[in-house]
Amino acid sequence: MTLPSLTLVAQAVLSGVFVGALYGLLGLGLSLSWGLLRQINLSHFALAFLGAYLTYQLASVGGIDPLLTLLVIAPCFFAIGAAIYWLLARFAVTPLNSLLVTFGLTVIVESLIQWLWTADFRKLESHYGNVTWRAGSLYLPLPELLTLGIAVALCTAAWAVLRYSDLGKALRAAAEDAPIAAAFGVNERALAMLLSGACAALAAAAGLGLALSHTLTPSQIYAWIGVVFAAVMIGGLGSALGPLVAGIVIGVSEAVTMALTAPSWAPLVSFSLLIIVLLVRPGKIAA
Amino acid sequence: MLQVDRISVHYGAAPALWEVTMRVDAGELVCIVGPNGAGKSTLINTIAGLNRVSTGELKLFGRDLTQVPVHRFCREGIAIVPEGRRLFSRMSVRENLELGSLMPDARARRAESLERMCGLFPMLPGNLNRPAGALSGGQQQVVAIARALMARPRLLLLDEPSLGLAPMIVRELFQAVERVNREGTAVLLVEQNVPAALELAARAYVLDEGRIIAEGAPAALRAQPDIRRAYLGIGEPEAR
Amino acid sequence: MKRVVGALLAGAVALAAIPYLHVAAFYESFLYLVFLWVVLATSWNILSGYSGYVSFGHGAFFGVGVYTTAALAAKFDWPFLATLPVAALNAALLGVALGAIVFRVKQVRAELFALLTLAVTFIVATIILNTPIDGGPGLYLSAVPVPKLGPSAASSFFFLGLVAAAFAILVAYGIYVSKLGSGLFAIHDDEDAAEVLGVPTYRYKLIALAISCALAGVAGGIQALFVSYVTVAETFSITVPLTVVLMSVLGGTRHWAGPALGAAIITTLTYASTAGDYVLAGKASVGLILIVFVLFRPEGLLGGRARRHPPVAPARSQIEVSARAAAATAAWNAATSGSRIAPGDSSGSTLLAVRSLSKAFRGVQALDGVDLAVRRGEILGLLGPNGSGKSTFINVVSGHYRADGGSITFDGQSIAHLDAHRIARTGIARTYQIPRPFAHRSVLENAVLPAMFGAAALDRRSAKREALRWLEFTGLADRAEALPAALNLHQRKFLELARALASRPRLLLLDEVLSGLTSSEIDSAVQLIWRIREQGTTIVLVEHVMRVVVALADRIVVLDQGRVIAEGRPGEVMAHPAVIVAYLGSKGDAAG
Repeated sequence: MTLPSLTLVAQAVLSGVFVGALYGLLGLGLSLSWGLLRQINLSHFALAFLGAYLTYQLASVGGIDPLLTLLVIAPCFFAIGAAIYWLLARFAVTPLNSLLVTFGLTVIVESLIQWLWTADFRKLESHYGNVTWRAGSLYLPLPELLTLGIAVALCTAAWAVLRYSDLGKALRAAAEDAPIAAAFGVNERALAMLLSGACAALAAAAGLGLALSHTLTPSQIYAWIGVVFAAVMIGGLGSALGPLVAGIVIGVSEAVTMALTAPSWAPLVSFSLLIIVLLVRPGKIAA
Repeated sequence: MLQVDRISVHYGAAPALWEVTMRVDAGELVCIVGPNGAGKSTLINTIAGLNRVSTGELKLFGRDLTQVPVHRFCREGIAIVPEGRRLFSRMSVRENLELGSLMPDARARRAESLERMCGLFPMLPGNLNRPAGALSGGQQQVVAIARALMARPRLLLLDEPSLGLAPMIVRELFQAVERVNREGTAVLLVEQNVPAALELAARAYVLDEGRIIAEGAPAALRAQPDIRRAYLGIGEPEAR
Repeated sequence: MKRVVGALLAGAVALAAIPYLHVAAFYESFLYLVFLWVVLATSWNILSGYSGYVSFGHGAFFGVGVYTTAALAAKFDWPFLATLPVAALNAALLGVALGAIVFRVKQVRAELFALLTLAVTFIVATIILNTPIDGGPGLYLSAVPVPKLGPSAASSFFFLGLVAAAFAILVAYGIYVSKLGSGLFAIHDDEDAAEVLGVPTYRYKLIALAISCALAGVAGGIQALFVSYVTVAETFSITVPLTVVLMSVLGGTRHWAGPALGAAIITTLTYASTAGDYVLAGKASVGLILIVFVLFRPEGLLGGRARRHPPVAPARSQIEVSARAAAATAAWNAATSGSRIAPGDSSGSTLLAVRSLSKAFRGVQALDGVDLAVRRGEILGLLGPNGSGKSTFINVVSGHYRADGGSITFDGQSIAHLDAHRIARTGIARTYQIPRPFAHRSVLENAVLPAMFGAAALDRRSAKREALRWLEFTGLADRAEALPAALNLHQRKFLELARALASRPRLLLLDEVLSGLTSSEIDSAVQLIWRIREQGTTIVLVEHVMRVVVALADRIVVLDQGRVIAEGRPGEVMAHPAVIVAYLGSKGDAAG
C-alpha cells in the first residue's frame, strides 16, 4: 500500500466533509422526529429523494434555479409530514411499528418515483455544477459547498430554535413528559404536527442537496438508510447538531479509508462505529 | 372560586373517585388528607385537567372546565405541582421555570416572576443553570413549586409535596406555601402528612376509598377517630 | 399436535407429486421461490415473531449461507448437499456471536435491535466484498452439479425447496408448542416478568436466534445454486430483511403458519404483477398492504385469537365474586387439607437473611444498609411511607434489580448476584403491585408458565393440573380461557397470586396486593393469604392497608428512607414513636 500524497488525503478529507454534511442534513429531520416524537420515519429517505426528483424536474425541465425550487417544494412537503404524523398518532403506533408503516410508505413513494421518472439515471445539470473554486491545490465544487452551507445553516437554526425559543423548549418538554407539559399549556398535538411538517420540509432541503451533487435513481434510496441512521444514533436522538457532527466524522473516516485502501471498505467504518456506540453508550440512544 | 360538584372518575370499570363534592374559595388554603390509595392524587389531577371526568362538574369562577382540553387549564389560572415533582429533568432549572410561564400574561412578566422566585427561594439563583435532574429531592420540590408559581396562578395545586423529604425541608416548604397563600394565591394541598397539613389549612377534607368521609376545620377533624383508624389501623383490633 | 404434524407431512407428500405431473418448469420454479420465502419468513419469525425481538438483519444470515455454499462449491469443489450443513452452521455462529453480546445489553430495545441487526448486514456484506471470499466480481456456480432429485433441474430445486420449507414449518410448529415457545411468547409480552417467573430469557433468545439463522443459512445455500451467480449487491440488498417482515406481519407473527401464509400470498402477488405492466402497481400495493395491516390488523391474518375469544361479560357484583372465592377456598380446604407446599416448619429458623442491603438509583439511595431476617412460616409485614424503599426491597430480592452492596441469603444459599430466573428456581415468587399478566396468553396459560419454569419445574401436563388447582384456589377457574384484559382489577390481582403460587414458592413476596380493592375484596384476599401461609409458604407482605397488616402479620418491619426504623410485633411497632413520626409527622415538625 503506497501512501498517497498529502494533497490527496486533504482532498479526501474535504470530500468526506461534503458527503458528511449531506448525511447530517438527511439525518436532521430523522433525528428530530425520532428523538422528540418517538416516530422512526423510514420514509424520510423516500421523501428526500422525491424532493430531489422534483428539484430536478423543476430545474432541468422548468428552468427554475434549483435553490428557488425549495420555496415551492418545502411547503408541500410540510403538509405531507404533518399528515404522516397525524396518521401514526391516530393509530397510536409504537416506535417499532412506525418503522414498519413508514417502510410501507417508502415502497409506495419509491414506486411513484419510478413510475414518474423511470429507473433511468437522472442528473441535474445546473450552472452551479460548472463552478469549482480552488483553495491552493484543493478543489471546492460549488454544488457541494452549497449543500454544506445549507446543512450548516439549517442544523444551526434548528439547534438555536430548540435551545433558545419557547417553541423549542416546549417541544423538548413535551418529549420528556407530555402530560405535565400540557398542564403548563403546551399543546402537544399541534406542536407535534408542526415538527413533523418541519422534518418533511427538511427532507426537501436534503433532496436539494442530493440533486445538486448526485445522480438519481430510485433504488439509491436504500443506500443512504444505513449510514444516515448510524449518524443519527451516534449523534444522539433529538439533537440538531449531533447528526451533522457525526455525519462529518463518518464521512471523513470513510473518505480517508477509501483513499488509503479501497472504496469498498467504507461501509465498515460507519457501521462499526455505530455498533461500538450502541454497545458502549446505549443510554444516549435510549430515548 | 373552585367548585367541584359530584365528580366521579373511573379507571376502566373501577371507580377511583365517587361523587366528590368540594370547593376552594379565593385566597383560601384547603387541604385534602387521606390514606394511601384513597384517590387524593386522582382528585387533584382531575382538577388540573390531567384526568377526564366521568360524571359531575368542575367549575372555576363559574366556568365549566370538564370539556376543556388539558393544555388550556393553565390559561384558566390553575397550576400544579405534581406528585413526584415531575420536572423536565434533562432541561435546566431556568428552562423549567420558563416553561412554567408559557402563557401570554405570565410570559410578559417572566423576568419579574423569576426575580420573585429567587427571592422566595434562596437556593434558586445558584442553581439556575444546572440540569433539573441533578438536584436533590428537596431542591427539586422547590423548583417544582417555583415552576408552578411562574404561571401566576390563581389556584395552586400541590400533590404530596412532602413525599420522601426530610422533616426539616418539609417545614421550610410549608412556610413558603403559607407565604404564597398570604400573598393572595389560593392553595389546594393534598398530603399524607396529616398534622403538618392540618396545621396549615383553613379547611380540610378527608378522602378514603374515593369518597369524602369528613370535612371541616382542622381542629374538629383532628379529634375524629376515623382518621387515626384509616391511617394506623389501630383502634379496631381484628380477631385472628 | 399429532394431527397437525400429520397434516403437514401429508401436504408435503401431496406437493411432492407435482414434478411428476408434467407441469411447465416455470411453475416448478415459481413454487420453489414460494418455498424459499416460506423458509426465510418462517425462520425469521421464530426469533422475531415469537419473542418480539424484531431483526432487520435476516439478510446477513441468508447471505452468509449463500456465500458459504458458493465458496465451498465453486472454489473448493465440495458436493452441493454437503455445503448446506456448513452454511447453516456459519449463519448460526454469526447469529449467536451477535446475540451473545447484544442480548446482554439491557437497554437495547426493540427498535434499536432492529437497526443494529441492519448494521450487521452491511458489515458482513462489506467484509465479504473486500476479502477473497468474493473480492468483487461475484461467484459463479454454473459448474457445480445440481443433485439429481427429480426429473429435471427445476424439479430438483422444487424438492430441495419443499423439504426445506416443510422442515422449517415443522420446526416452527415444534417450538410453538414446546416449553421454549411458551418462554419466547412470555418474553414477547413482558420479558422482565418472564425472567422473574423463571424463564431463562438470555438462553432462550440465543437458542431461537441460532435456529432462525441456521434455517436462513440453509435457504441461502440452496438459493446460491439456484441463481448460480452470486454477487454481494444482490445478496445483501435490503430486499430480504424487509420482505420477511412484511410476509410475517401479513400472515401473523404469533402463529407458526403465519409467515408461510404471508410468503405464499406476497410471492404470488409479486410474480403475478411482474407478468404485466403492473410491476410498480404491484410493488406499491405491497407497501400499502404492510401499512394497512400494521395499522388495522397488527396481529395478521392468522393472529385473530383476541377476536375469536370476545371479552367475557363484566363481573357481577363484588360480593358475589368474593363469595365465590371464599366458597372455592372452603371447598379447596376440605379437599386438600393434607397436602402442603413446603414442610410445615414453625421452628422460626431464618429463611431469608438480608445484611447491609444497598441500592441507589440516579442519586437516590432507595435502600441504605437494610438488615432484615424473615423466619420460616411467618407472615412479615413490610411497611413504610411512600418512597421508603419497600418495593425496591422486593425488586432486589427477587432479582429484578441487582443490589449495589450487601448480601442476601435464602435458605443458606447466597442469591444476591444470581439472575432473576435462577432466584425463581430457588423458590422465591413475587406479585406486582400493578398486575403484569401476559396480555396475549389466557389466564390458564399465565399460571402454567410459572409451574413449568419455577421451583416446581413441572412438565406441561402436570403444570396444567397445578395451574388449574391454583386458579380454583383463587376463584378464577371459570375464567381459565379468558384473556387478562377481560378481568377486572380484583381478578387480575388474584391472577397475580395464582401465578406466584403456581411455582410452589417457599417464600412469597406480595407487593401491595390489596391496593385498589374494595373492602369486601380485601376480606377475601386476607382469607387467601391466611390459607397460603397454612400451606407452609412464608410471606413478606408490603402493604398500605394498615388494618390488614396489623391483623395478619406475625411481625412488622418499618422502613423509612431506605433504613429499618422499627421491628417487632404489630401492636408494639405501630405505637413506636419513630414510626408515628415517619407516617404522620410529629406536631413539632409541622409548619410554623
